[in-house]
Amino acid sequence: MKITLVKKIFADGSLCKKCREVEDKMRATGQLSQIDRIVIADEADDQSEGMLLAAHYNIDRAPFFIVEHEGADPVIYTIYFKFVKEVLDAETSEEEELAEIINDNDLDFL
Amino acid sequence: MSALPNIVDLDTQLATQSPQEIIRYALESFDNIAISFSGAEDVVLIDMAAKIGKRFQVFSLDTGRLHAETYQFIETIRKHYSIDIDVVMPEASKVEQLVKAKGLFSFYEDDHKECCGIRKIAPLRKQLLKVDAWITGQRRDQSPGTRADVPVIQDDKAFARPNESLTKFNPLANWTSKQVWDYIRENNVPYNALHDQGFVSIGCEPCTRPTGPGQHEREGRWWWEEATKKECGLHAVNIAK
Repeated sequence: MKITLVKKIFADGSLCKKCREVEDKMRATGQLSQIDRIVIADEADDQSEGMLLAAHYNIDRAPFFIVEHEGADPVIYTIYFKFVKEVLDAETSEEEELAEIINDNDLDFL
Repeated sequence: MSALPNIVDLDTQLATQSPQEIIRYALESFDNIAISFSGAEDVVLIDMAAKIGKRFQVFSLDTGRLHAETYQFIETIRKHYSIDIDVVMPEASKVEQLVKAKGLFSFYEDDHKECCGIRKIAPLRKQLLKVDAWITGQRRDQSPGTRADVPVIQDDKAFARPNESLTKFNPLANWTSKQVWDYIRENNVPYNALHDQGFVSIGCEPCTRPTGPGQHEREGRWWWEEATKKECGLHAVNIAK
């Protein structure tokens, strides 16, 4: 299994808030060591590797994770808590999962 | 790299289709598919689906804080179209914990997200585990900015079952509020009585208010909160190099 983390930097070079929070959390819990590659999606450069990956996989938010198994199509995770629960077998709380879903998805008018 | 070209291609293809054609495609493509009905103008989805004549499921998220008119409207629609509507409710213990800790109106002091998470998103997630695809009434014109990119079809990564896919259709993505209302009038579709009281957007009672002429419908929801920009969107900016 190969895991790639794509994180976004703004045009001014700063890291997006959620990307920073996710990376900090993964570092603190040791999860970052299970990431094989970290790729930058540079908002100022649509040819940066992360932006090209986002375009290829039709992903419109960061961070996201690409999980590759030999002989299978890559699986993309845009929800951090879903990724760590399903791929890294980490324990997560429902409150954290819901907070991330509602922050990242425009579900206000359902 | 070959993931998801189908969804992207389909979105391009379906984006030029009418909502009825998109719904027909959705119903013909998925047997286990449900319409999410909020009790507002997304009733047009049910009307369109009913006219197509294929089998579909409908669910409504009952947060426990809806207007009486909305409950009455859901019942009206159930009878009018002779359909079953799964009225999905939040987990009582979670609501009790929230209310005990923060009271009945915590959303006015914090923001609406915690309450929405418990009353709406958790039940939605549970409901979506049962289906392979779902249909929403989300439109681009509902929230300028955050919904500018609402696709007609998308791979729903947030609510998919583990290691499976969930397809989300937004047949009204390209329609305006006016087009929805033209359809409702032309087809004599029943509508929520709150619309006649000035409500454009309808959600939970404490979080919804009528809007005045010229106001965007978003101003009728969570008006005490500052509209926040979502900073994690991946959109390249045009910067001269």
